[in-house]
Amino acid sequence: MISDITIGQYFPGNSILHKIDPRMKIVLTFAFIIIIFLCKNFYALGVMVLMLAIMVASSKISIKVILRGVKPILFIIVFTAILNIFYTDKGETWFEYKFLKITSGGVYIAIFMAIRIICLIIASSLLTYTTSPTMITDGLERLLSPLEFMKNSVHTVAMMMTIALRFIPTLIEEFEKITNAQKARGADLDSGGLIQRSKALVPIFIPLFITSFRRAYELAFAMECRCYNGGEGRTRMKQMKLTKVDFVALFFIVAMCVAVIMLNMNFTHLL
Amino acid sequence: MPIVKTQDLSYLYSTGTPFEIAAIRDVNLEIEQGELVGIIGHTGSGKSTLVQHLNGLLKPTSGKIFVDGLDIWESKQTVRDVRFKVGLCFQYPEYQLFEETVYKDISFGPKNMGLSEDEIDKKVRMAASFVGLKEEHLDKSPFYLSGGEKRRAAIAGVMAMEPKVLILDEPTSGLDPKGRDTILGMIKEYRQDTGSTVLVVSHSMEDVAKMATKVLVMNESKVAMYGTVDEIYSRSDEIIKMGLDVPQITRVFTSLAKCGVNVNPNIYTVNQGKLELAKLFKKA
Repeated sequence: MISDITIGQYFPGNSILHKIDPRMKIVLTFAFIIIIFLCKNFYALGVMVLMLAIMVASSKISIKVILRGVKPILFIIVFTAILNIFYTDKGETWFEYKFLKITSGGVYIAIFMAIRIICLIIASSLLTYTTSPTMITDGLERLLSPLEFMKNSVHTVAMMMTIALRFIPTLIEEFEKITNAQKARGADLDSGGLIQRSKALVPIFIPLFITSFRRAYELAFAMECRCYNGGEGRTRMKQMKLTKVDFVALFFIVAMCVAVIMLNMNFTHLL
Repeated sequence: MPIVKTQDLSYLYSTGTPFEIAAIRDVNLEIEQGELVGIIGHTGSGKSTLVQHLNGLLKPTSGKIFVDGLDIWESKQTVRDVRFKVGLCFQYPEYQLFEETVYKDISFGPKNMGLSEDEIDKKVRMAASFVGLKEEHLDKSPFYLSGGEKRRAAIAGVMAMEPKVLILDEPTSGLDPKGRDTILGMIKEYRQDTGSTVLVVSHSMEDVAKMATKVLVMNESKVAMYGTVDEIYSRSDEIIKMGLDVPQITRVFTSLAKCGVNVNPNIYTVNQGKLELAKLFKKA
């Protein structure tokens, strides 16, 4: 079940989206997310959806994978949509029963919000789908390098993130192994109330923590053996350089931003 | 009646997609009460998947498993019961220790069985004595034990449930020769004293030859061979063809026989080899 989650996963590939410089990609993803929140009507949002469709198509990642990434948050989407339907009292009334009232405005807002959240998820997962964790942290480190006056901290934080991301799959595997081992000794994990269930997790989390500490020591030793001593004076194997692709991507996002602002000004109503 | 029986057991990964892979396919197996079965095979041949089916940790895609004549997937209760009937000890079991003291950790299994305090105490002490842990070890934190002692404490945790079938997945991996011999010795002793059935997954042909009564060879997700030690190692050519190994001493004697020396080629322990050579020299 845990392995079904695709958010944060990386799918190696050779598409245009894979080739964009990670720094540019991070900045543009943030820009995209901010622009999503700037949209005030369906026309503006339509532009975003279109743009997102182009991005998905050019990433060469199958639609199935992308939809699978949306699945875990389907509940949140439905929940917010329902809240919006019942809490908005605007436009003509379509349905009324005691305190429940569905209005056209409510339905529009619900749909609007749902599309917005889905766009948000897809856009941010596209970043991780097409950029390897090391590239993301490398990119972040470079982007934050103006903050270098705080001494080594930018590099340290980036390194910590790289290591953390690297060990997520390892920890998941370890978790499953220990769970199986304790189940084999008759640990009952699926019954009882909340307190009983959380108590049942103790035999799993203690070994998990101990293994993690052991791993951390081993990794630290291994890094020191290879003369790692922080970011000072460290050179890189992969130099990042902005290329044509990056500027094309930038152009697209800027164009989209302009379009959204124009549409927002021209159509002040939701529909 | 066999204690463990499987019927057309298959387990598939990614079912319904073009990437369907069988971890095990059509396994039919009957293991009699009291045997000590050595399970050998390559990494990825399905050994671990097979043993995880026997105590209901994995649910088969198709096929059935009978323990003590009962279908283990018949109801929720039977699956839970089978966990105590078939004790499974994973590879590197010392990483599952979690309690404050060795005593408490060993008692985790019996406690889950819902036994009384007295019975738990009896079982813990019995298991500890099987693995050679002394009284003073029991009150220590498991994390202060040595590597070999940790391993033994973890195995005791499974033995304490007194399962009818004890399965150990590579119990000796990563141990020095002395630690290995200790563990193999105590497994043998446990089986003799309790009369339970023991399954040992192993990479060492020597170990299997030394202690097993039956050998199960897994190859490419299937049971390639199952028989007595004599039956299996007499087919050493086939075993080598699968990319597995036979004991070194067997190699020596098959080569000798091939060179025309009048010896029995089916020798698989050093002791047997010694006797065979003594016979040869007596004749000469």
